[in-house]
Amino acid sequence: MKRFACVALLALVFPASASAHAALEQASPSFRQRLNTAPTQVLLTFDQTVKPLSNSIVVYTARGRVVSLSAREGASAHEVVARLVHLAQGPYTVRWHVISSDGHVVSGVYTFGFRAAAPPPTEAYGASGPTTTEHLVRWAYFLALALLVGGIGSRLIVVRSPLPARAERRFYLLTGIGAVATLEVGIVAFLLRAEDALQLPFARFIYGDLSTISGGTRFGQAFIAMTLGFSLVTAFLFLAWLTERTVLLWPAFILGLAFASGLSLSGHSAADAGSSWKSELADWVHLSAACLWIGGLVQLAVVVLPLAPELRQRAFLRFSAFATVLIALLLAAGIYLSILRLPHLHDLWTAGYGHVLLVKLALVALALAWGGFHRVFVVPKVARGSDGVLKRLSRSVLGESFAGMAVLLAAAVLVDSKPPPQSELARKASTSSTNTFVACNIPCLRTEAGPWYHPARASRAFPLNSRNNSRR
Amino acid sequence: MQPPAEHVHWMFATGFLILALCLLGEAIVGAEVWQLRRWRAYLWPSTLFLMGVLMWPVMTFFTNSTIHMIAHGLWAEVLMLAGAVELALVRGKISSPWWRLTSALALLVSGAAFLVHEQNGWFFQRSSFLHHLMGWTLVAIAVIPFARCVRPRSIGLGSAYALAFVVLSVMLYCDRDLAPVFGHLSPVAGIPHR
Repeated sequence: MKRFACVALLALVFPASASAHAALEQASPSFRQRLNTAPTQVLLTFDQTVKPLSNSIVVYTARGRVVSLSAREGASAHEVVARLVHLAQGPYTVRWHVISSDGHVVSGVYTFGFRAAAPPPTEAYGASGPTTTEHLVRWAYFLALALLVGGIGSRLIVVRSPLPARAERRFYLLTGIGAVATLEVGIVAFLLRAEDALQLPFARFIYGDLSTISGGTRFGQAFIAMTLGFSLVTAFLFLAWLTERTVLLWPAFILGLAFASGLSLSGHSAADAGSSWKSELADWVHLSAACLWIGGLVQLAVVVLPLAPELRQRAFLRFSAFATVLIALLLAAGIYLSILRLPHLHDLWTAGYGHVLLVKLALVALALAWGGFHRVFVVPKVARGSDGVLKRLSRSVLGESFAGMAVLLAAAVLVDSKPPPQSELARKASTSSTNTFVACNIPCLRTEAGPWYHPARASRAFPLNSRNNSRR
Repeated sequence: MQPPAEHVHWMFATGFLILALCLLGEAIVGAEVWQLRRWRAYLWPSTLFLMGVLMWPVMTFFTNSTIHMIAHGLWAEVLMLAGAVELALVRGKISSPWWRLTSALALLVSGAAFLVHEQNGWFFQRSSFLHHLMGWTLVAIAVIPFARCVRPRSIGLGSAYALAFVVLSVMLYCDRDLAPVFGHLSPVAGIPHR
């Protein structure tokens, strides 16, 4: 973010000295096009005059072998063309960069396949996969969703009654932070993924072409839908605060829950081998239940218990019952997804994905134990009307919510990890049914599902650039 | 299918024109008369807020460069923020006149975003010229909401604010995807569509 700010300030100081940049209008072969005859050249057409360099167009195989010759100007000064050597069946990555006539470098990446489906650009050759920063950003996104969707859900389902003025203000403050964070963190997550796909230094990345990533990947499409959806959620939330009409929180809540499905429709549950509508639904239920549980805990600990004494008892008892249902849904969906992604028990201790899942399960056990303590020992006392317990409860509930947030961190790492390979049968079934996977025999290819990707091996064999390697 | 960028600019020009006409009406007849019907007070802040919401699709669908995406995202956020604050002021949810500084901030950020995201020189083509002009205009008129915090009933300031938005909408209406400015078009810009 600091780099963004520095470059923005510099560009503001010297606006007129900045150069023009061209935009890619057409490409042949096209983005993610599947061809039945081998192309002999890659032709890029821009909206302005461009100056090609010898390496303006570089085409890689899935293993990183360069199959393009020197690029040169096409039939017009708007075109750049590079001839290809004889292509074998498989997916290919095109990385391009051209100089606009007044010196500005524009870059982009896309993929195509010859008798094979092309992977999304985020899985192109050279993309290094999620980094620690991306794990943290995804965690922040989960937390923002929990604050927003869980907060609103808690207000509508658990609290229901009007809150005192201070509590109401704090409720809107927390959910407002969640709404803004959902939008901002979503943008940062998209830019980080795009930066990884484009593999460009920052100064060139800010002029990079993101259209293939936003339009050509599940992740990009989810980003578009979720950004639009959560801008509406933010608008409804604001209008509810402005007009003091709680009924406006309902469309915000329903939209929030609906658009949270963007994560389920673009993640493992939608793209991995063995995925189906059932896995997508289970993932969405898992995520929604977690958001409602953790967001509800935060609302209870920060808003209701300290600021709404008249509502404490009723809200706590109601939340306890609600959380029981949520936990049941969370566990049922989680167990189903675990079995789907880890078909063998030994995957838990032999696969990296299994290790992260074990950590997550340990944290879940901690959070459940904490919640179980509340359910078994605290609820009866609160039901008897012990006000002293309610006054001291806030910190304990906050502690439970922190345990839940730690679970979300493990979930963020898990989402970015690759499950172990499925059986050959499941792989074939998935390949034929979804058509999103690359149907070829290239073991090192990174696909949307990713079970066969071996980034370390690929980078050792064909290093793309030093930055890419250092990130691994 | 995406509409041409110029069409999107014209849509937002219409939004700014509605905004400007409301502000101008309020400046001419005075706030008391303008607010005789309560809904009128909500008119221009709602327009501003709605324009912010409508800017999000522009951000997500026009992603031919990172800087464009960030600039449009910033506009969406500051339009929504400024509209939300004005709506809250009208509704009485907040009362300090200093909240109007949010509009000044929004104008400054918008102007900066225009200047940063336009990589061409002033006379490269018409849209470049207009982007620079709008950027500096927005930065310059950021002083008006600041002054309105001190003199909220000033007719002169109200009129100037309204006229500034008229000028901005005219600039946006003048925008074309590829067109000369004062008869000049950079030879590297490409061939005009018409």
